[in-house]
Amino acid sequence: AGTTGARHHARLLLLIPFPNCLYLPQAWLDTQDRCLGHYVNGKWLKPEHRNSVPCQDPITGENLASCLQAQAEDVAAAVEAARTAFKSWSAHPGVVRAQHLVRLAKVIQKHQRLLWTLESLVTGRAVREVRDGDVQLAQQLLHYHAIQASTQEEALAGWEPMGVIGLILPPTFSFLEMMWRICPALAVGCTVVALVPPASPTPLLLAQLSGELGPFPGILNVISGPASLVPVLASQPGIQKVAFCGALEEGRALRRTLAGECAELGLALGTESLLLLTDTADVDSAVEGVVDAAWSDRGPGGLRLLIQESVWDEAMRRLQERMGRLRSGRGLDGAVDMGARGAAACDLVQRFVREAQSQGAQVFQAGDVPSEHPFYPPTLVSNLPPASPCARAEVPWPVVVASPFRTAKEALALANGTPRGGSASVWSERLGQALELGYGLQVGTVWINAHGLRDPSVPTGGCKESGCSWHGGPDGLYEYLRPSGTPARLSCLSKNLNYDTFGLAVPSTLPAGPEIGPSPAPPYGLFVGGRFQAPGARSSRPIQDSSGNLHGYVAEGGAKDIRGAVEAAHQAFPGWAGQSPGARAALLWALAAALERRKSTLASRLERQGVELKAAEAEVELSARRLRAWGARAQAQGHTLQVKDLWARGRAGQVGWGGAQTRGCEMSQAWGPAATPGRGLHFNMRFAWDIQTLSWAKPYFFLSFLETESRSVAQAGVQWRDLGSLQAPPPRFMPFSCPRLPTNFLFFLFFFIFSRDGISPC
Amino acid sequence: MSAHNRGTELDLSWISKIQVNHPAVLRRAEQIQARRTVKKEWQAAWLLKAVTFIDLTTLSGDDTSSNIQRLCYKAKYPIREDLLKALNMYDKGITTAAVCVYPARVCDTVKALKAAGCNIPVASVATGFPAGQTHLKTRLEEIRLAVEDGATEIDVVINRSLVLTGQWEGSDFIKTSTGKETVNATFPVAIVMLRAIRDFFWKTGNKIGFKPAGGIRSAKDSLAWLSLVKEELGDEWLKPELFRIGASTLLSDIERQIYHHVTGRYAAYHDLPMS
Repeated sequence: AGTTGARHHARLLLLIPFPNCLYLPQAWLDTQDRCLGHYVNGKWLKPEHRNSVPCQDPITGENLASCLQAQAEDVAAAVEAARTAFKSWSAHPGVVRAQHLVRLAKVIQKHQRLLWTLESLVTGRAVREVRDGDVQLAQQLLHYHAIQASTQEEALAGWEPMGVIGLILPPTFSFLEMMWRICPALAVGCTVVALVPPASPTPLLLAQLSGELGPFPGILNVISGPASLVPVLASQPGIQKVAFCGALEEGRALRRTLAGECAELGLALGTESLLLLTDTADVDSAVEGVVDAAWSDRGPGGLRLLIQESVWDEAMRRLQERMGRLRSGRGLDGAVDMGARGAAACDLVQRFVREAQSQGAQVFQAGDVPSEHPFYPPTLVSNLPPASPCARAEVPWPVVVASPFRTAKEALALANGTPRGGSASVWSERLGQALELGYGLQVGTVWINAHGLRDPSVPTGGCKESGCSWHGGPDGLYEYLRPSGTPARLSCLSKNLNYDTFGLAVPSTLPAGPEIGPSPAPPYGLFVGGRFQAPGARSSRPIQDSSGNLHGYVAEGGAKDIRGAVEAAHQAFPGWAGQSPGARAALLWALAAALERRKSTLASRLERQGVELKAAEAEVELSARRLRAWGARAQAQGHTLQVKDLWARGRAGQVGWGGAQTRGCEMSQAWGPAATPGRGLHFNMRFAWDIQTLSWAKPYFFLSFLETESRSVAQAGVQWRDLGSLQAPPPRFMPFSCPRLPTNFLFFLFFFIFSRDGISPC
Repeated sequence: MSAHNRGTELDLSWISKIQVNHPAVLRRAEQIQARRTVKKEWQAAWLLKAVTFIDLTTLSGDDTSSNIQRLCYKAKYPIREDLLKALNMYDKGITTAAVCVYPARVCDTVKALKAAGCNIPVASVATGFPAGQTHLKTRLEEIRLAVEDGATEIDVVINRSLVLTGQWEGSDFIKTSTGKETVNATFPVAIVMLRAIRDFFWKTGNKIGFKPAGGIRSAKDSLAWLSLVKEELGDEWLKPELFRIGASTLLSDIERQIYHHVTGRYAAYHDLPMS
């Protein structure tokens, strides 16, 4: 020891011998004879005749254990266990679930050393980040959601758990991603089947810790298997929702696979983050923000860095200086900033940097980094031509792509000019500028003068291609809830439907006899953009009543009509979102009143579709009640943040402030351009007109809510919400999240249009 | 002491342009204590390095030549001989960076150090320490007397009333505080000061030293201070000419930790010589 000490005294290096903390994870793996199966219903499941995949240390390549690959029957067994567990788990009062979650948090606390060493060993991430960040946050998540569970009966009255949740995790993820999803799901009474990629033991350890707690062994089941099992899991009977996080392409594929399946899909895609550094920022602190985002093993991906031109030189100098002091090494080493993430991540970043260089970028690398293969130094890419493919591509870990901007307006244009919308931070000491940039960014989460802070009570998510599901806070709970009494989801679209030609082929409908529909007959056409218009195909579809008689003809919609409807919704959004919460609430309430005035007509219409009169009346009543409830919520949420007039109305269009508002925006689809900016008075007049229209013409749009697939306006609201459009307003100033309007909610609207046009099986 | 600060034209725009984000600095201060964990012989090496930065200080009203003498001996032999031998560092001349006393005790200190046969610099607080609220004339006289007595380094308390009204002074070293305040050396404040030192170096090429003082009592604290300077300024600042730790009780805790490193046991208070 003496000589080493002396040598290092002279040089004052920070080299640390590999600490002796491999013992715990290895001892745990030994308890499984170094062969990991699946953890189902509180027991290890190790079926025979399965392929196995080695679980390797990402740095040395040493084999740590072998992991069995699940097959379809293992998935079925896990889902069955979760379904059984759901019956008792969801029937218990929230307080019981809360106690269980708190116990789980305590178990994690007791075994945290095993958890963090295992996680760091297997993923290669810096142990400091796992120990001080992930494990602590995991416990906070459990405690937070335990509190939510304990007040569930009062706070979430009228909502019930969805059922069994399928959770799909990507190969490179932190176990925290799993915690963000299982905590709310378990808290509200759902049970979970997690499909993890082979060779990820931490979720299995978590499942074991949870399973050994006793009375509810089947609430968390973990199976490890290849990506080919994803459709198998999603199509298991009883799976009500599939939550996925991972790469964009995988998410897209999953969306295609699950089209028409009964399971809902919650997506969180991509890893890239964004940092806006303005000329009024504390540059040194912003540089630390860059380190937090890209070079500290906190964030999963790379960073796009936008620097104001006037501080470009200063910021780059500080950044490069700081990079020189970064240290990379084995994750379990207590003094590293960055670990390594295995060969695949290393190859990916090598490819990216090579391509960026060939496209003309300057690459700066620094830091104390081992030269062996899976390690990759912190990398700063600059001067990348804006139109080059690399500038469009997602930035991989641990790369920072820096580019300059001149004004706040240009910063927003650059920042929003990407299909991704995950998270971003704004660095500025000027409050007004920081807020303006924060509100203008089309991303799920914005931090001001900080980066990567997470809190269980703050919902985070993404917009645009970064997905549409939310975690944390009340929004995270609603992801796993549905209104009480909603029937379980069934496969809703025909399996043999050809999606390539869907909406394009023109069906030919011949006259089929006299109509016996209501008199006067409702106007023929599609209700888009605030008025009735003829369908693009100019053809019709007969609809029948419950006894098989021809009820009438409705317009046959097509792909072009969908496009037009989506466009109308986009146009209407800024104006609608710019309305005050009070105005939106007033509209929803007026709508509810109008529905009630038409109660008997609507009920008799439903009756003609085969619904019993009492049930039909109850349904209309429920619809009105839901409209009122959400209207009230628009105002209740408004009290947290009434910022309608903070910025010009035009800009508000980019911001989905709150769930009710956004939901209101979707309603504006029905009322169309009446809600355009600066037309408040007109808006009201137009609205009055629409209500009158309703009183005589029974716009089909509403009837479609009432009479087809979703059976009620209320449920339609829920389905919208599930697409991420119904988010709570930013509950914190710093960090705060700005929920955005995901584009794909609009596509959901098609569904109603088509339903209305008779494609729905109902 | 390094080459003196040659000074520069006072440009207040440097100060007015500085932006400091308090929460971000607090987060950084927290991180710095967790990101560089050193263990075992590396920790011992760091601790020995820390010893060489210590301004071993006594600033009590009841200081006399006897406790000054003890202090000087401790400055010369900061770590027990057998411990240093075990670490193979006995012949490396490890001493503290300086001895820091009141002006009236400079004479005693110089004498005691001479008797101990070493040339450790003597630092003296001066200029109406710790408040600095005396006349410029007496402040200058105080410095002159201390230097005459043999002090080679003067810790000047700047006139904070001038600072608060925007009239700045220059120096070779900046110190977090006198050590006599209720809150003394804290990491967030140090981060801001270190970044100012770096900026000044980038602008003028002058390296200004840094001395945290007050409240640094544990060996672990001293390691955090070292890694803070290493991270924010770099290795070239990790030498006694540019970095000092003003402390009185820190040394005994470092010695305890080294005792533990060498023997595997924790020392009782009577196991180690007092300072």
